[in-house]
Amino acid sequence: MAESAVSEVSHQTHHDDHAHHPTERQYWIVFVILAALTAIEVAWSYMGFEGVALVLPLVVMMGVKFLLVAGAFMHLYFDMKIINGKMFTWVFGFSLLVAVAVYFVVFAAWDALPG
Amino acid sequence: MSEAAIMDGVVAQHANDEGSHGEHGGHHTSLGLSNMKLAMWLFLGSECLLFGALISTYLLSKAEFMAEILAGNPLVTSTLPAALVEEFVEAGSVEPMWDIPFTSGSSFILLMSSLTMVLAHKAVSEDDDLQTKVWLAATALLGTTFIAGQVYEFTAFFREGLTYQGNLFGSAFYTLTGFHGAHVSGGILMLMSLLYMAFRGKLKSDRAETVELVGLYWHFVDVVWVLIFTIVYLIP
Repeated sequence: MAESAVSEVSHQTHHDDHAHHPTERQYWIVFVILAALTAIEVAWSYMGFEGVALVLPLVVMMGVKFLLVAGAFMHLYFDMKIINGKMFTWVFGFSLLVAVAVYFVVFAAWDALPG
Repeated sequence: MSEAAIMDGVVAQHANDEGSHGEHGGHHTSLGLSNMKLAMWLFLGSECLLFGALISTYLLSKAEFMAEILAGNPLVTSTLPAALVEEFVEAGSVEPMWDIPFTSGSSFILLMSSLTMVLAHKAVSEDDDLQTKVWLAATALLGTTFIAGQVYEFTAFFREGLTYQGNLFGSAFYTLTGFHGAHVSGGILMLMSLLYMAFRGKLKSDRAETVELVGLYWHFVDVVWVLIFTIVYLIP
């Protein structure tokens, strides 16, 4: 019983990295969604919208595609579940949020910067 | 056996795991994620900074360039053929330069290569040699097709009069897309190495993590193109 418990824990550790990766069918579904979003993006750019009506949907679709590739193909969604402890996720997420915010603030204020 | 004895066994097994390769070739850590994978993610984080800087530079340069073109600054307009300047002024953007259907095809090819990459990883994890070779070769082939498309596109732009050294816009555009192309080319070399290993019979499930690491790099290159395609080509 003891040996099987040890073996069970060891087996679990070995398979942690790959146990929850998507199935082949799920990969195909993600690909079809990505291809469809790309087609919608291109069609949207030809529909004659201007300003926010053009840019906002394109940026949203780009964001969804980004998350799909990073989450499913790069296994980020599944690996983040493995990385134990919510604190790591929150620290990582908060840092990413701050980095993106700083990036956009500097970018928006570019003309006001000296030199 | 007592609980303490069981725990001793678990700790001993864990210590053994820490010092040896796991089933898929990676070291197992207290984080639950292999050090190699974590290192790849850190590397990709630094790549985010590189491409973030290149995309920002492109956007700022394009805005500056278009302002000068619309103002009719001869120092800038003289760097391009008159017909192209006229098209830019008429459209109010550099949009007339792009061939969107062609670039959409390239984007589709790169997305397709991400799918074949994950299928290659899945195949090697299951010790399916034939599928591993097929999907790795397909990924490399799709990547090569993308690069061929980029070479064609660069040649077409050059013939239209957009050069690397002519103006800020050309420099920023070729640097951004060129760096991306160089990354894709690097990925193709990695894929060819994996394919060579597969044909030598040295790519089995114990090296699945190696394929996954190359896959992470490849998908990152794909993700960067998702951004470039929308920001550079679709948003005027």
